Amino acid sequence: MSLASKPSTKTLKRIRPQREWRWEIAIYLYLAGMGAGSFIVGLFTHWNGFGLSLPLRTFTFWGVPLELSKLALLWGPILVAIGAPFLILDLGKKLRFYTACFNPRTSWLARGFFILSGFILAGLIVLGALSFQQMSHPPLLWRLFEIISMLLAFATAIYTGILLKSVRYIPIWNTPLLPALFLLSALSTGSMGVILSTMGYGLLFPGGGLPHLLISRLTRIEQILVLIEGLILATYLISKYRAKDQGEDSVRLLISGDLRFLFWGGIVAVGFLFPIVLEYLYSHFPQYPGLLFATGALLLAGGFFLRLGLLASGVKERLPMYKLIEMKIKMSAFQRGE
Amino acid sequence: MQGKVIVVDHEKCTGCRLCEMVCSVFHTGASNPSRSRIKVVKWESEGFYLPTTCQNCEKPFCVEVCPTKACHQDLENQRVIIDKDKCIGCKTCIVACPFGAPSFDHVERVSIKCDYCDGNPQCVFFCDTKAVNYVDSDRVGVSKRREFSLKFSELLRQTR
Ligand code: SF4
Repeated sequence: MSLASKPSTKTLKRIRPQREWRWEIAIYLYLAGMGAGSFIVGLFTHWNGFGLSLPLRTFTFWGVPLELSKLALLWGPILVAIGAPFLILDLGKKLRFYTACFNPRTSWLARGFFILSGFILAGLIVLGALSFQQMSHPPLLWRLFEIISMLLAFATAIYTGILLKSVRYIPIWNTPLLPALFLLSALSTGSMGVILSTMGYGLLFPGGGLPHLLISRLTRIEQILVLIEGLILATYLISKYRAKDQGEDSVRLLISGDLRFLFWGGIVAVGFLFPIVLEYLYSHFPQYPGLLFATGALLLAGGFFLRLGLLASGVKERLPMYKLIEMKIKMSAFQRGE
Repeated sequence: MQGKVIVVDHEKCTGCRLCEMVCSVFHTGASNPSRSRIKVVKWESEGFYLPTTCQNCEKPFCVEVCPTKACHQDLENQRVIIDKDKCIGCKTCIVACPFGAPSFDHVERVSIKCDYCDGNPQCVFFCDTKAVNYVDSDRVGVSKRREFSLKFSELLRQTR
């Protein structure tokens, strides 16, 4: 085949994944979401929301009595605090990171600085206070503080989606479905995190009996969350695929482009299919806790791949000028009968 | 758009990338097109070249999203610039700009964008074919719109 007869449409710009915000930001978004989600589930459990609570285990560190069961439920803020430095890791000028809060009036990155700091602070206070002393009848003001920390956790989980949505010209990010998807993913990975920590707690301190009941209830909730998350993800991708020039490129990139292995392998298989199958097996063979641990590990990895995939697929809308040029190229190919 | 802006006539551009070269030499002292503030987008096999740079938007989105206020509007000179001493290199402005104008300088580790060389753009000065020009935005608005609609209608006619 001569050079001239090669299909010219092949010379159109190949769509490449977004490369400015990469794995560091994906980890930042993931740990913030999962930490906040686990705190929401953990605090809800602590409020006796599922009719159960963990058996208490008090330990004395350097003369201070500490209640460890709270750590198994409310470790979320620690995870968010671990995730925040990943944002700094991505910065060109890391030492100037503290100036990232100078423009909260319009910048969501700056607002996030305050939301995350607020949540980490409030969450750590809740975790610390509950670990240090048992409050059978907490004062109203304390309850109010707990509610505020819960709201901050929701804000953190939703913020991870809003940060991407606020970058208006990337169609696949510019939809309210993204914050909803990230919130659901935060809750599903968070609840799985709490299941795993509760299970670890049960293995460390056997004999309580309660963790198993709590785990089975949490697992049921987690399954529902994963189901809703899967539905939102499907709606999200289908709606974006149908909207020509409004995200179609990104969805193509995910399902059949450079990111197809990440999407089908990491998001669909590791994040949804395997965990569903393993969890089903575990429900029939509860004597093998390894199954649940494997489910957890896969689901948590899937949550990370979801952030990574959606970040990388964030390609910009093509400019009218680019479209015009590409139209011309297609036209000339058509006229040449290719 | 406001003040003066750089406009491009892609039909005159030969894709020589001299503009990228002089831009990087002027701003960094190094002849390194990856550090240039103007970028030539190429459709090589079709012979289409499109130099792209900051459009000096009236309501610059990069300014809105910048968390540090490093990217700001210099109202006196009517242009959008990045203060490299304030920039933390978070790349939000790069992700946010619909024209892909700011880019990341891997040497200085901050975002960079066209600052119109303080009113004397070197790319305009050095472009042999006059594919890049520096003109008042009022004139650009009308002529650009007319040019675009003419081209579009011509294309539509061809497709019929
Ligand atoms: S890279 Fe610099 S100029 Fe761009 S948004 Fe971040 S701090 Fe502002």
